[in-house]
Amino acid sequence: MITPEISWLAILPELGLALGAAAVLLVEVQWKPRAQVLGMVVAGALTIALAFTVVQWIRAQDAVAGAGQLGDLVAFSRMILMDGFAVFGRFALLVTTAIGITAGWRLIEGLGRRRAEALALILLASAGFSIMVSANNLVMVFLGLEVGSIALYVLAGMTRSSSTSDEAALKYFLLGSFASAIFIYGVALIYAGTGQFEILAIRSFFSAFIVTSPGVILIGIALMIVGLGFKVSAAPFHAWAPDVYQGAPAGFVGYMAAVAKIAGFAAIARILITGLGDLEVNWLPVVAGISALSMVGGSLLALVQADIRRMLAYSSVATAGFVMTGVVGGATSGVLFYVAVYALQLVGSFAVVAAVSGPANSASSMDEYQGLATRSPGLAAGFTILLLGMAGLPLTSGFVAKFGVFSDAWSAGYQWLVIVAVLASVLAFAVYLRVVVNMYMSDAEGPTLEVPDTARWVLMIAAAATIIWGILPGSLLDLASSAFPL
Amino acid sequence: MLTWLILLPVLAAIIVSLVPSRRSELHLSLGIALAVLPLALAGYVFWAFEPVSGYQFIEDVTWYAPWGIGWTLGIDGISLPMVVLTTLLVPIALGASTSIEKRRKEFVVYTLLLEAGMIGVFLALDLFIFFVFFEAILIPMYFIIGIWGSDRRVYAAVKFFIYTAFGSALMLAGIIALAFTHAEQFGSLSFALSDLMRLDLPIGAERWLFAAFALAFAIKVPLFPVHTWLPDAHTEAPTAGSVLLAGVLLKLGTYGLLRFNLSLFPEASVDAVWIMGILAVVGIVYGAVVAIVQPDLKRLVAYSSVSHLGFIVLGTFAFTSGAMQGAVIQNVNHGITTGALFLLVGMLYERRHTKLISEFGGIQKSMPVFAGFFLFMAFASIGLPGLNGFVGEFLVLIGAYATLPVLAVIAASGVVLAAIYLLWAYERVFTGVPEKPENQNLADLSTREVALLAPLAALVLVIGLYPNVLLDKIAPSAEAVLDHVVEASGLVIPEPGRLADVFVTDGEGE
Repeated sequence: MITPEISWLAILPELGLALGAAAVLLVEVQWKPRAQVLGMVVAGALTIALAFTVVQWIRAQDAVAGAGQLGDLVAFSRMILMDGFAVFGRFALLVTTAIGITAGWRLIEGLGRRRAEALALILLASAGFSIMVSANNLVMVFLGLEVGSIALYVLAGMTRSSSTSDEAALKYFLLGSFASAIFIYGVALIYAGTGQFEILAIRSFFSAFIVTSPGVILIGIALMIVGLGFKVSAAPFHAWAPDVYQGAPAGFVGYMAAVAKIAGFAAIARILITGLGDLEVNWLPVVAGISALSMVGGSLLALVQADIRRMLAYSSVATAGFVMTGVVGGATSGVLFYVAVYALQLVGSFAVVAAVSGPANSASSMDEYQGLATRSPGLAAGFTILLLGMAGLPLTSGFVAKFGVFSDAWSAGYQWLVIVAVLASVLAFAVYLRVVVNMYMSDAEGPTLEVPDTARWVLMIAAAATIIWGILPGSLLDLASSAFPL
Repeated sequence: MLTWLILLPVLAAIIVSLVPSRRSELHLSLGIALAVLPLALAGYVFWAFEPVSGYQFIEDVTWYAPWGIGWTLGIDGISLPMVVLTTLLVPIALGASTSIEKRRKEFVVYTLLLEAGMIGVFLALDLFIFFVFFEAILIPMYFIIGIWGSDRRVYAAVKFFIYTAFGSALMLAGIIALAFTHAEQFGSLSFALSDLMRLDLPIGAERWLFAAFALAFAIKVPLFPVHTWLPDAHTEAPTAGSVLLAGVLLKLGTYGLLRFNLSLFPEASVDAVWIMGILAVVGIVYGAVVAIVQPDLKRLVAYSSVSHLGFIVLGTFAFTSGAMQGAVIQNVNHGITTGALFLLVGMLYERRHTKLISEFGGIQKSMPVFAGFFLFMAFASIGLPGLNGFVGEFLVLIGAYATLPVLAVIAASGVVLAAIYLLWAYERVFTGVPEKPENQNLADLSTREVALLAPLAALVLVIGLYPNVLLDKIAPSAEAVLDHVVEASGLVIPEPGRLADVFVTDGEGE
């Protein structure tokens, strides 16, 4: 009997997160410590997980350079991958988690004894999404998706006293589980058509065979696109996003949205580009259509919102469309770069929202931002940088990201999509400028805001990253372009 | 060297931003003092610039190799005068902003960042870098109009931003297309202007790309019919904003047409002569006619810009040596005279808090020096011989007459119309009996204000009397652009369209 060889390294980051989650809960039950102690435990778990991803990264680069076996990057009975793509995604997730927890720290502290619960849920969500970005098996993708999503549903309803939070959680849960079901149905159809769950095996299948009656497979692909499109809030599967972004506690929304985007796009890129690349004539037009619809529709709807969170929700729909142009372009590096920089900007933006309207609050009217530049100049300046970054103006990382994915789409022959995209970018400018107008061009007086130090740090890091990678993007671009999937 | 031209204003902005906000008296003076440094450097570059064709002071550093983007800067006879003008107008614009009380530090910082961006646009020889600067300057200008403008400032700021961003969006697609065409033809991505000029574009694609670039620049110029953002932006902007908007920002459009459209798409440029020419002439006449009926002095000057910039576009697309040099020198002239006119209107506004022509009358009694400067700048703007405006418009009209006689004749009416709207405005504002009591005791120009206007007035005279200070440096580069167009498109320029037809060079003379 052969015992399957187990490469523990492949899951050590996720293991670290999961054990960290367990440890937080146990420490809480046993000692009921101060919040800082729990924070320390979480920081330990994240540090360990990050350290292992670095080890994985070095191995992946060695393997690609020929110093190791490419086969070593496929571990756990071919379930989990350690290729550059997976490791980059994990790394981005972990960093986003760390910053997300810092951004929401005020909220977490305020949760009283339930704070351990919240921290454990965040770690579990990240563990799940981390599995999702590194899975080679569609069932593993689904498992990761569900672990992550269920944790997020609970997080959305974490502030139980507020009815909007409840509503958001319920909506997110109902629509989200529906989307997961659609995704798994798609997986089942792909299995029916190919006899494979493994993404790499599916790729070999399609490069070896030409399917003469691909009906089942095409429906399967379509269903998977719908399911994942929901997770990244691409139009027309975005209806949940505004309600959830608005209703869920501000301290968590940035994190929730960012990790879902990273994991969702990693899965989309891996499944479509790597697994189903040979069938791209079938799915490219669909993805391009979703992309165009998200960019234009998201920006237009964002333009008319009176609540800043709904505005950010619709603009994240638009961003999903922009990232999709990278998927159409077929180069994973552009997608990775985009989601990595956007995740930071999103978390930073919601740190501002939490600071302005209170971390547990649900409504964040655009009017609250009037005259922010005179009341809290630092906050306004940082937020402006993030908004300009998300808008994709030059000298910010958002511009480099957009430029990258647009170039990819152009070289893939989707010129019309690029033209739609650049025009939608102008709409996006208008969206983000509205907030800037409120902050800078109104003389409304108001009390100076008391901004927690943690939020200040998050904002500073996110703004600095936006500018540094906008002026000298080489370091991150090089990483993203050496992070190709197997 | 050129990198420092861009970095100095950025460093100045950083230094000013480090001064504590409560020391508000320091910000403006410090900003002006620091803004003199780039002016000095630009002066040195102007002095050291050899009057030959081709780029000088070239810097070329790889920015991101896999995408073929380089930090490529260079200066030639076309960008040189614009850089000097920019560095000159910024300290003047800051000096004219003493009435700004609100958030003065931010104002100085944005103005200096704007300067860095504008210089960057003129120096960039890599289309990626160019685009970055071209778009980035929208941000400080947006804030300048939106925070320190007058009543409808937010509307004007957003309109300005969205209009121009819309134009450059398609240009971005065009730039990407060029880079990938380079990859197809030469095997690697490149955004360098010199690389992209070697591309062999199919004429259909070239026309589309020409259109994408031309739209971006036409909005910036602004060319009729995409000029509607300009009167709003000008009217609402604070004085410094208007000065820099008219003096430099609009020139980014004409400069872009000359530098990028003609160089990258010579054949399509030749094909588009009539379209661009007619739009330019319509702009000349339309802008002038609309300016006549403006009740607001600042709007009047704004519409006069639409008219004057039409001359520049006409000169650019006339494809003769004279017209092209006229276009380049007119870029500078318009920056000086219109910049000065906006300064003057701003000074008047500070005294009376209105820009409506009907509110004034007879104020030359109380403000003779002011009236003198205004009349002088108005004459320069009209193109009185001996002043700078004459040189530019004369060259453009003479040059355009060789190739586009009909358009040149119609365009000449713009000069007459300019006399009407400016002199009529002068008459209504300055002459007569001051009936309104507010107009009887207006303070004349202070020393500071004279000091701001004097350098501009001096330049008006110098360029008007001896334009060769500029033309000597402009001519070789303008000729090079024409040579490139002629070579690439097979255009035949009728004699005497080229410099060589008129002048016998020294070498042949001996």
